[in-house]
Amino acid sequence: MAVHSLTVKKIISRVRQAFPNAPEAYIMNLINEAIVEMGKYNTKVEYAKTSTVADQQWYTLSDTNSGVEINKVFRVDFMDSKGVYVKIPRLLENEIPTMDID
Amino acid sequence: MASTYNYPEDYIAWFIKGNHLGLVTLKGNTEGSYHSKYGQYKPINEAVTNGLLLHYYAEPNAVSAITDIPDVDNVFHSAIVDYVKARLYQDKAGTTSDGNAASVSLNLANIHEGKYNESVKRNGMQKRDKTGGPRRVLMADFT
Repeated sequence: MAVHSLTVKKIISRVRQAFPNAPEAYIMNLINEAIVEMGKYNTKVEYAKTSTVADQQWYTLSDTNSGVEINKVFRVDFMDSKGVYVKIPRLLENEIPTMDID
Repeated sequence: MASTYNYPEDYIAWFIKGNHLGLVTLKGNTEGSYHSKYGQYKPINEAVTNGLLLHYYAEPNAVSAITDIPDVDNVFHSAIVDYVKARLYQDKAGTTSDGNAASVSLNLANIHEGKYNESVKRNGMQKRDKTGGPRRVLMADFT
């Protein structure tokens, strides 16, 4: 049996029970606003791979190709010599002796 | 290129600053170097193709067509209806010249806002718990 979910059309029809003249585009804007607020909760877990560059310290956290925005990174793995991804620790202090802006 | 690290967890660490992920290693030279000694954190020293695997919480996708399904768990879908109604009632309260109608609209806006908040917080917590995986209770060791 299919999982019950609401399409934008169904949401609009429910809203129009109380607001028959509400513009569709405006309701869609409000739906997107609600989705952004819900994004604060950890509702969508994603994975991504990226290549490292020798002597480059910083990697930008965006994935514009897939249109996905990162809210919070909670785990990072690094590939070992056998090609296996191994969890690496997070530095909580965020301070190291040397610094780079690349 | 492939990685030469046999035990990356012993050398490499990551941290976040703003919108950037910092990747550092302890590997380095032992002699004749300044601030690149073995044991000091410095930028990762290897170019590894697809060497990093990130696990993250992502921003849900926006809807753009009436056939779209909001990109959040379906337990949140009815909360979206409440959110939209709350905003529309607030708009109505702000634009009407009738004081009574404004008051009623504001009340209804508060009711829908409350339902939205309750649903999102309740189900949001539930989702957070799910991501933790199985849990067990460790008894204290009295020996």
